[in-house]
Amino acid sequence: MLKNLAGLWRHRALAYVLVAREMKARYRGSVLGFFWSLLNPLLMLAVYAVVFAVIFQSRSPATSPYALFLFSGLLPWNWLSSSLTDAASSLTTHGALLRKILFPAEVLPLVAVFAQGLHFVFALPILLAGLILGSLGVFGPRIPLGWPLVQAVPLLVLEGVFVAGIGLLLAALTVHFRDVKDLLATALSLWFFATPVLYTLADIKQERVRALLRCNPAAPLFDAWRDALFYCRWIEASRWGVLLALASVSFLLGYAFFDRLRDSYPEAV
Amino acid sequence: MKPATPAVRAERLSKSYRKWGRTRAFGTLKSALLGRSLGAALAPSEVVAALSDVSFTVARGETFGVVGPNGCGKSTLLKLVAGLFKPTSGQLAVDGKVSALIELGAGFHPEISGRENVVINGVMLGLTRKEIERKLPEIIAFSGLEDFIDEPVKTYSSGMYVRLGFAVAVHVDPDILVVDEVLAVGDEAFAHRCLDTIADFSRRGKTIFFVSHSLVLVEELCDRVLYLEHGHVKGLGDPREMLAAYRLDVAAGEGARLATEHRKDQEILLRTAGGGGAAVERAETHFPFKENPPSPDASRKQEAQLRVEQPLEQKIPLEPDEKPRRWGNRDVSITGCRLLDASDAERYAFHSGESMTIEISVAPRISTADFVFGIGIFTPDEVCVHGSNTEIDGFLPERLDGPATVRVTLPRLDLGSGAYLVDVAVHSRRETPYDYWRGACRFQVDSPDRDAGLYRPERRWTFAGAVSVSAR
Repeated sequence: MLKNLAGLWRHRALAYVLVAREMKARYRGSVLGFFWSLLNPLLMLAVYAVVFAVIFQSRSPATSPYALFLFSGLLPWNWLSSSLTDAASSLTTHGALLRKILFPAEVLPLVAVFAQGLHFVFALPILLAGLILGSLGVFGPRIPLGWPLVQAVPLLVLEGVFVAGIGLLLAALTVHFRDVKDLLATALSLWFFATPVLYTLADIKQERVRALLRCNPAAPLFDAWRDALFYCRWIEASRWGVLLALASVSFLLGYAFFDRLRDSYPEAV
Repeated sequence: MKPATPAVRAERLSKSYRKWGRTRAFGTLKSALLGRSLGAALAPSEVVAALSDVSFTVARGETFGVVGPNGCGKSTLLKLVAGLFKPTSGQLAVDGKVSALIELGAGFHPEISGRENVVINGVMLGLTRKEIERKLPEIIAFSGLEDFIDEPVKTYSSGMYVRLGFAVAVHVDPDILVVDEVLAVGDEAFAHRCLDTIADFSRRGKTIFFVSHSLVLVEELCDRVLYLEHGHVKGLGDPREMLAAYRLDVAAGEGARLATEHRKDQEILLRTAGGGGAAVERAETHFPFKENPPSPDASRKQEAQLRVEQPLEQKIPLEPDEKPRRWGNRDVSITGCRLLDASDAERYAFHSGESMTIEISVAPRISTADFVFGIGIFTPDEVCVHGSNTEIDGFLPERLDGPATVRVTLPRLDLGSGAYLVDVAVHSRRETPYDYWRGACRFQVDSPDRDAGLYRPERRWTFAGAVSVSAR
């Protein structure tokens, strides 16, 4: 397994060209092309701003302005869910490649996570612009703005590793059980509501429900995103430790599982 | 230079696939979790052996061919050598960088340009980006797609697709080139360029692993040939011997098929023989009844009338393009026709130069002393290869008053490879046909050489003067 992991590094050129291919292929033939990566989150932010300023008035002072609160959780969530969806089907959709060309198969789910990660990164400037406007009071109550924003960089890496682990596991499972894809859609929507994206855990009044939701391995990550982006607070070292542990465990387990079934992919896809 | 370790060494190589039974056709996670344990679901339920106990070595610089019928395990072997599949048991050592021309253009993304796809494909095949950038002009020139290289690949024709794929694969500069039936696509000019490239590889001391159904190509290119059948090694060695063995087996298979067809044909034709039911029914439909409506009695009368008119079969109107296959007055009927080999076994596939016997069974309606038995051998396009009869060969008829069997043996069937038809006939000495049967039997001849023509005589070459040759 360690040898394969090392081999993966040697294939970074392959990962690079595949990610580039994904990006090129996605926008080939569209008029705005690459700008969709920026435009999409911008439109999303505009919709949320209108909806939550006009239709739903904010309920909790901790989450207002709600459009920015939601946005700072929703962007990392979209990365997670779209990566997992893509990664799960990455081996089966590239079955022809696996059967005909010898290359490390784990490149495929990892490329899915990475390509979606790029979309997330492109959306960050929009979020930043939103936060700056928020700090000027455009969306309602002013929000703080400061250096804790740089925590987004390590969080990006940690979420990437965390998601990659689950993605590898799902990709391997999908090869042998084609219904994982369908199951995944439902599982992701359940997970979405169990994760503090629409709310913060502090707002949950029932002690037992909150304890239960804390068990969600994604909860610490999204709490951290919120603190870094929306509340602009420094995250304690112990929480970084938890995040690091979660990411490592996810990746190592996912990779080990993927590695174990490696030989079966060319024949089973 | 390294010492001459073999490029590929396989020892008792076996590969089996799991059979996806009905329960596993759509394996679902739910059923695995409910029904069995996950581990059991991932374990093979029933296995099919695609290769069993295959051993061989391929020397460095050798061009090694693999032949065999569909499903014999050729592709599985290639995928094992290319490292795509892992053997179920046995040892496989492959020394050197392998490039597989298994499916050209695998991994081309339809939406992006040919140029970008070349880069991606090259990296997938193991080149660095620098190497591929350097070779890019050469690859594009080889593919001959300069004008289209910046168009998305989805606009390419299948031939263009394959050309680009081939261009990338050969520029990877492998030590071992695995070629699987790829030269069938692309136009003539490109096929030549491919062959030149393969020959060039061979000259540069690279190992080539070659699979093709084009036996001529295999014979031309390969130093040694592995003949696989049902996943087992049927033979390994000199290309000419292996291909001859393969061709004989194919011919034998065709012979068996011809024999079955022959039996079916005979059944049909024998049913129409001797004014039997089928022929008369057919005749009725073509004779408009004068009285209307026809009573069953009248129809029987008509039938009786038909029986009297001779010869019956000639009365049957034929479709414009249909030639009569059988005619005669049936004073003597042919009841069967078979082909036999030297050991009197029924056979419809012969090797050139073998002995063949034509057996005709007859039954006379009347006792007669006026009869001639004849045979003819024709090609499917009706060129007469040979025709003769008992009269020509000097036999005088004496009596025929019951079922009889006549055999004529051709001790040496010196025919070129191909399909042939046998006509058999019984007629009077003044050539009134009793029963003439066109294409009563069909047989297949195969020749070990690539010589041409219908006639395949023994040849002896003599060379005199300022000429010298050596045997291959």
